[in-house]
Order: sequence, then C-alpha cells, then structure tokens
Amino acid sequence: MIRFLARRLLWFAITLLGVVTISFFLMRAVRGGPFDGERRLHPAIEANLAARYHLDWPLWRQYLQYLGPFDWSDQGIGALLHVEADTDALQRLPADRVEGRTFRVGSSVVTWTGELGPTPLGGVLTGDLGPSFKYRDFTVNDIIGQSLPISVALGSVALLFALTLGLVAGIGSALWRGTNIDLSLRLAATAGIALPNFVIAGFLIILFAFLMPLLPVAGWGSPRHMVLPGFALGAPFAAYIARLARTGLLEVLSKDHIRTARAKGLSEWLILVRHALKGGLLPVVSYLGPATAGILTGSLVIERLFGIPGTGSHFVNSALNRDYTLSMGVTILYTVLVYSLNTLVDLVYTLLDPRIELEES
Amino acid sequence: MATTARQSKRSPAELQALLREARAQRGTSLGRDAWRRLRRNRGAFYALVFLGLFLAVSWLAPLLPLASPMALDLAVEPQPPAWPLTVNPRRSLAGERPPFGAAPTLSVGALADDGWAHRTYVDVELETPLGQLEPTENPMVRALVTQTAERKATVYLRAGDRPGTFVQRHALPQWDSDRARIDWQPSGERGAVEGTLVRGVDGLYLKLALQRAPGGPTVLAAKARTAVEGVEVELVVEGETGRETRRYPMPWRAAAGARVVGLQLDGVRLPAEAERDAAGQWPAMPDELGEARLALEIAGRSIQLSADLESVKLVDTAGERVALETRARVVPELRAVVHDDLGSRIDRRLTDIGRVVGLEHTDGIWELSALDAGLLHLRTRIFGLWQTGPLLGTDAKGRDLLARIVWGSRISIQVSLVATLCSLAIGVTWGAFAGLMGGRIDNLMMRIVDVLYSVPFIFVVIFLITLLNEYRVELADRGIGYMTVFYVVIGAIYWLTMARVVRGQVLSLKNQEFVEAARMIGASTPRILLAHLVPNVLSVVIVYLTLTVPAVMLFEAFLSFLGLGVEPPRVSWGLLAVDATDSISAVVIYWWAVVFPSLAMGSVLLALNVLGDGLRDALDPNLRGKD
Repeated sequence: MIRFLARRLLWFAITLLGVVTISFFLMRAVRGGPFDGERRLHPAIEANLAARYHLDWPLWRQYLQYLGPFDWSDQGIGALLHVEADTDALQRLPADRVEGRTFRVGSSVVTWTGELGPTPLGGVLTGDLGPSFKYRDFTVNDIIGQSLPISVALGSVALLFALTLGLVAGIGSALWRGTNIDLSLRLAATAGIALPNFVIAGFLIILFAFLMPLLPVAGWGSPRHMVLPGFALGAPFAAYIARLARTGLLEVLSKDHIRTARAKGLSEWLILVRHALKGGLLPVVSYLGPATAGILTGSLVIERLFGIPGTGSHFVNSALNRDYTLSMGVTILYTVLVYSLNTLVDLVYTLLDPRIELEES
Repeated sequence: MATTARQSKRSPAELQALLREARAQRGTSLGRDAWRRLRRNRGAFYALVFLGLFLAVSWLAPLLPLASPMALDLAVEPQPPAWPLTVNPRRSLAGERPPFGAAPTLSVGALADDGWAHRTYVDVELETPLGQLEPTENPMVRALVTQTAERKATVYLRAGDRPGTFVQRHALPQWDSDRARIDWQPSGERGAVEGTLVRGVDGLYLKLALQRAPGGPTVLAAKARTAVEGVEVELVVEGETGRETRRYPMPWRAAAGARVVGLQLDGVRLPAEAERDAAGQWPAMPDELGEARLALEIAGRSIQLSADLESVKLVDTAGERVALETRARVVPELRAVVHDDLGSRIDRRLTDIGRVVGLEHTDGIWELSALDAGLLHLRTRIFGLWQTGPLLGTDAKGRDLLARIVWGSRISIQVSLVATLCSLAIGVTWGAFAGLMGGRIDNLMMRIVDVLYSVPFIFVVIFLITLLNEYRVELADRGIGYMTVFYVVIGAIYWLTMARVVRGQVLSLKNQEFVEAARMIGASTPRILLAHLVPNVLSVVIVYLTLTVPAVMLFEAFLSFLGLGVEPPRVSWGLLAVDATDSISAVVIYWWAVVFPSLAMGSVLLALNVLGDGLRDALDPNLRGKD
C-alpha cells in the first residue's frame, strides 16, 4: 500500500511538472500578452507592469520563479514602482526605460522611488499560484478559493444524482431483467449517454422556467439552485452508471455463490445487499474516477448555462485573456483533482476486491 | 489412431459431404458472420438504416430545396414552424424586400434576399403605361422571359432610371451556361482595351479610351453603347477589303449601372457615338464630359478585351472613388467573343416591348466544393426557385432551422470522421507497437498513456486552440485551414483508449495457440501480423471506432459551445446548441430552436451508440450483454 502510494506520488509529481512546464511555455509562446488592450499603455506604465509581474525577465527565470519559492526580489526588480510625477505630463511625454527604476521622460531622467512590491510572484511548490494578471487586485489563490467551493458543491450534487439515479436504475433493471421496466430503463440510459449535457440543460430550462416554474433556472445561493444544474450535469453519468451496474449485477447474479445463497433460502433482498452488490458494483467504482473528471469538464458548460460563478468559467476566459497565472492555476488545480481522485478510486477498488493488486494501476 | 479408424468407416460420399460442409464454413468470414448477427439485432439494424438515411440526406444537402442556412433576416422575429409545405413566406413576390438596393450593392441585396444567390437577374426597362402612377408587372414580358429562359422567373419591380419607365427584374435560377463566357478566337487585328469606371455627379460612367498605333486601318466612325453583355464598341474601319463594321463586346457585368459617355480615340476625346465628317475631322467632345476617358487601344492587328468581371462590382461597393482600372493584356491574333446566350436571346425577343438594361449573375457565397456546387445547380434544375418554408421555424437571426440542421450535420460528420481516423492512426500504431515490443518499452509507453489520462485534456485542447487561433493567418498562408487543425487536435486526444485496447488485444493474441501454430508451420512475421493478428484486432478497433464517433461529435459540440470550434457562417450542431441556449429568454420561448436541433443530435448520437453496441455484440459474441 505504502509502496503503491509512493509510486503514485512519484508519477503525480512527474505529471504535474509536465503539465506545468508545457502549459507555461505554451502560454508564453502565444503572441499577445495580458496587458494588450485597445489603448496602448504608456511605456513607463508598461515597464512598471512588466516589472511587477516579472515579464521583463528571461523566460527560464520566470519559469523557475513560478515554479518554486525563489525570492529574487532583493535584486531590485520585483518592486512595485510608484509614480511620483504629474500624471498629465507623464502621459504626454515619451518615456524610455533606461534601466531598473530609471526612466527617461522627455529630456530628464527620472528615477522612480517606491517601496518593494507585495509578494514575489508564484512559487507553485509553496502553494502560491501568484497574482492574477486580469483581476489585478486578486491572487489566483483568492479566485480559486472563491469559486472552487461552488464548483465542488455543484460537482458533488451532480455526482450524487449520478450515483443515486444510476444505481437505482441499474439495480432495478437488473432485478427485473427482460421486462418492460428493464427495456425502458435501458433505453433511457442510452438516451442519457447520447445527449450532451447542455441539451439536457436546455430542455430543463424550458421545462422549469416556463411550463412549471418550481425551481430557479439561474443563479446560485440556495440548495434549490443546485437541483437543475446538478441534474443536467449528472444525467449522462447516471446513464452510464446504470448500464455498468446492470451488467455487473447480472454477471454476479449468475455466479455460483449466489446460487448457493438462494439454495440456503436467503431472501432476494438479503442476497442482493449482502452478496451481489459488493461484487456487482465494482465496475461502477472503477468508473467513478473518469466520471469525476467528466463532471469537472462538463461543469464548464453547465456553469455558463445556469449562470453559476464557479471555476469552469475562469478557464476559458483566462486562456483567452492571456491571464497566465490564473489559467495555469486552474489547469494545475484540475490536474491535481483528477489525479488524486483517480488514485482514491484505485484504492477503494482494491479494498473492495482483494484479488486486484495495487501495483497494476 | 482412433479417429483414423472411425473416419475410415465412413463412405466416400459421406466424406465428400463433410468436405463440402467444411468448405462452405471456411468461406464464412468474420465480416459476413458479424453482418449476419448484426442483421438479427433489430435495434442495431434500424440504427444502421437510420444512419444511412441520415448520411444520404446530409450528403445530398445541396440537392434538397432547403432555404439558405446562412441568409440573415434580422428584421423578422423568429418564426414558429410553418406547415404545410409552402413557399417560404419570406421570399414572397410582394416585393417588400426586393433585391435591388442601390445599384452598387446588388449582391448585398441578394444576400439579404437569399444566401444561396444562385440567381441570374434580368432587368427589363419598360414604359409605364399612360395614366398609371405605380408600375405594375407586365405579364407578357414575364411570359417572354420565362419562355426564352425556359425557367420560371420571380419578378421584382422598381422605378426606372428615366422618367416614365420602370424596371422589371426577373430572378431566374442560375445555370452554368448563363455566365458570360469568353472564347478567344483568331481575328485579323491586335490590340487591347482599357476601361475605367468613374462615379460622376449623377451616376456611374464608363470611360473608354481608344488609341491606335500608326499603320492600322483607318477608323471612320466609332460608337460605344451599353449592350446586354456589357459594353459594345463598334468601329467602322477602312480595311483592305473596303469599309467594314467591327463589333467588340466588352463583358462588363455592371453594365446595368454604367453608361458610356465618351470615347477617346488616338488621344482625341469623342462623344459615345462619333463619325468623321467630310473633312475627316472628329466632332468635338462636349465640355462637361471632358473627364470621360476610355481607351480602346488598337496596337497592330488584333483586339483583346478585358473581362475582369468582378472588379466592376468592387467599384460599386467602394463608393465615391474610382476603384477600377482594368488594362487588358495584348493577346495577338485573338478576339474575344462573349457568349451570354440567355441575355441576348431575351434581348432579341423583347424588341418592341422593352429592352434589357441589366443582366447580373450572382455567385454563391458559401464556399462549396465542385461537387456541392454541381448538386446545387442540379437542384435549381429540378426545383427552380422553389424552396421549403420554415418547416422547423427560423432562429433568432431569421435563418431557416431545417437547413441549418441539415447543413450543420455535414460539419459534425466531417469532424467526427476525420478526428476518429486520426485517433485510429495514432492509437493503433502506439498500442500495436507497445504490445508487440513488450517488456520495458511497453511499460514505458503505457505509463505515458496513463499519465496522459490523468491530464484534464479539455484544458490542453483549449490551450491548443487558442494558440492556433493566434497563428491562424500564418497557417492559412501555408495552406493549412483552421478546420483541418481543429479536426486533428480533436483526433489527437482520443487515441489513448484506442492505444490501450489495441495493446491489450495484441498482447493477448501474441501468445495464443493459433499464432504459435502459424509460427510452427513457418509463417513469416508479416504474414502472422497481417493474416492472423490484424483481423482479430480489427473487430475490437471497429467497435471502439463506432463508439468514438459519437464521443467526438459531442466533443465538437462542446467546443463549439465554448466558442472554440466551428465559426460562422459555417454551422455545426454545437453552434446550433449555442443558438438554442441563446434563444431562451425570460419573455418568449422559441422552443423550436431548442427542441429540433436537440432531437436531431440526440437521435443521431443514440443511433450511433446503439449501432456501436450492436457491432460489438456482432463482432465478439463473447461480450454480448456486457458493457
């Protein structure tokens, strides 16, 4: 067990390093920076911003700085420069950076004075994901801290829906195998797998916003707000879980030990609960890892459709805005989530089925 | 020994029968067997039939009389589905939105009218009958045009350029033969034409410059006039064989908006019609037309006519300034003959009633492949201008939903096929290689797959696509379309499962008895690979492919939903889903915009899933009923 976890951790470190490295250099390779706007910034301000976010450093140094807790602010660059000059005059005059904090504004050379900037950027290893480039007053940790609980709540509700609906449908359809109930449940499951979640969400919105206004179709706050998005997000996974549960149960129910239990005179209910479920639901457990990853991904769309201020919206927007740190922060977050959930699922799997060895991931 | 003994007891006839049976069985290939089983599976069979029909409809989309999937109609609220099959009410003949606009923006007008724009417009100028204020359609002219063109015309009216006249516009379905075609023929002369279109105070003027090299035949009279084909220059020359009249047509497309006001011959400015007087002098050019300049250069013995059809239109839309200056290259010994059968035929028939003042061929504006364009023309031959009304309603921008669903399916199908093939190529290579090599290489390769599995791939794709968007122009310069890259990117992330599946299969097959047996009897490695391993892996691969296709389709919809996929004016199902969710408002439900695209997408994906399950059962009966 310990060896397994250690091994997993090693691969996790490698994966994370790969993801961070690739996305870091991919993002910087793209033309256009975070401060490209319609209005061209004053060169002094631009230099100031670049200095604040270390964009004036060579790329390898930015990378190392982002990666680890290396404090280079004593080299005088990570300083937040204060502009002590007539702003109007500054705007009118062309300014060139001479070096460090010295600028040539018009004909005179001005050295900006000011205190050192806040914290040096980043340091993923210390858990600091750095300041956001777009939302100037927030750090990435702040933003994720605000939005992650919402996404997690939504994801949990969706997973709950997926598990309850899926298991109930799957077990029901296995128990009443071959009947009309089974047939209709299986059809519903296939439909659920086939329909994208935003289509389901569209139907739900029409249904609940106009035909029977019972639940709110947008916004966030109360548990009532979670029902519809949770359902739309969880429905495709519920369908898949139902299928897995049905197949797994059917296979187990045809095994010898079940026959023995029946011969012993156990009630069907006891057979199901005590003997069949544990083995029959193994495929469902192994599916939970991919399902969680899928729910995380799917929440991108669902959050947008239902107007939920979760993490999903940040990803697309930050990539488009060239908000380097936020974009990478979200990527790292999701990688960590997916990887640790997968590991957790593997662990649970081996606990349920001792025949499977941990070494084989 | 025992078997030999038993066999020896059988009669030769029995043995023959057994042999026949064995031969018959031998021919039952894996494919045929699977097909038999698939046909028995009702659900999968219906799914297959449905998908076949759907593919046919999707592929034949240009042939169907659908409305344009991209013609905007912002003035109109989304319309609910309209039954029964009627002519699209938006395109009624009431003339509420005639495709005239200002003369310069004819093609834009056509866009608002119908995005397909495969129309030939024939404008006929008619006298307004006495005592009538509003122009009314002249049925005789319409009948004439219809008869001559052998196509049904749709008629629009507008006031004419001259007082007391009106223009009756006939929109005809366009055939390829309608386009002005230029054939170069040998002629006894050489030269070049230079034309300039200028905007004067009160309209567009075509200026023709006519200059001669010394030694050419003497021009006695020159005349330039607008004609059906555009502009025609007529010269009366004193040649070796005596006085003769030569006509040089210039196929200007915008002849309807242009008027020839003057000629310039040998540097002398002339009115549009000019003849030497008895003393051999040209008449003086009226002062107010002094600007007009149009040169017809006769340098030597032959005339070449410029036929830059598009540029005239460009001038029109450019507005105030001269935007066209076409100088023709000299092509010796050739003469342009412009065929515009339709225009001249109609013109001839109209002699007493009116005259053709304009002939415009519109182009389709959706980039279509040659095949699609051909189908589109075939469609106009079959259905003419008739098209279905909004059977499934229109969306928030007034576009026909049915047409959008059908045309959108084409892109969705393309994406899923290309991306699936991509994943096939990468996955099978990777998996088969790992499986065959075994040992450390296998371990490493599969570990890489495991690691990639735990990367949230959607984010990598979003990264990649934003990156590609940034370098789109450079890619386009190298002939790589955005859509191609888009397909490949999607395909590149779907290979992981394929690699695992193939590797597992190869691994388990590699050591099986039949492979051993084949090796025993001396089969070569390629033969083992091709004859024994590939067919066995193939069934699994096919099954997995049928399940990848719907997954990719969903993924395309997902990306388009996020605004990272297909871009307007193209349409895909993902974009339809976006439109659908956009059309959900607090005030009105445009339910059709949500329901119909969802139904289409849902039914196709459902059919694909059912077919995939059925195929898996058919190809590998051991797996039946398992997920």
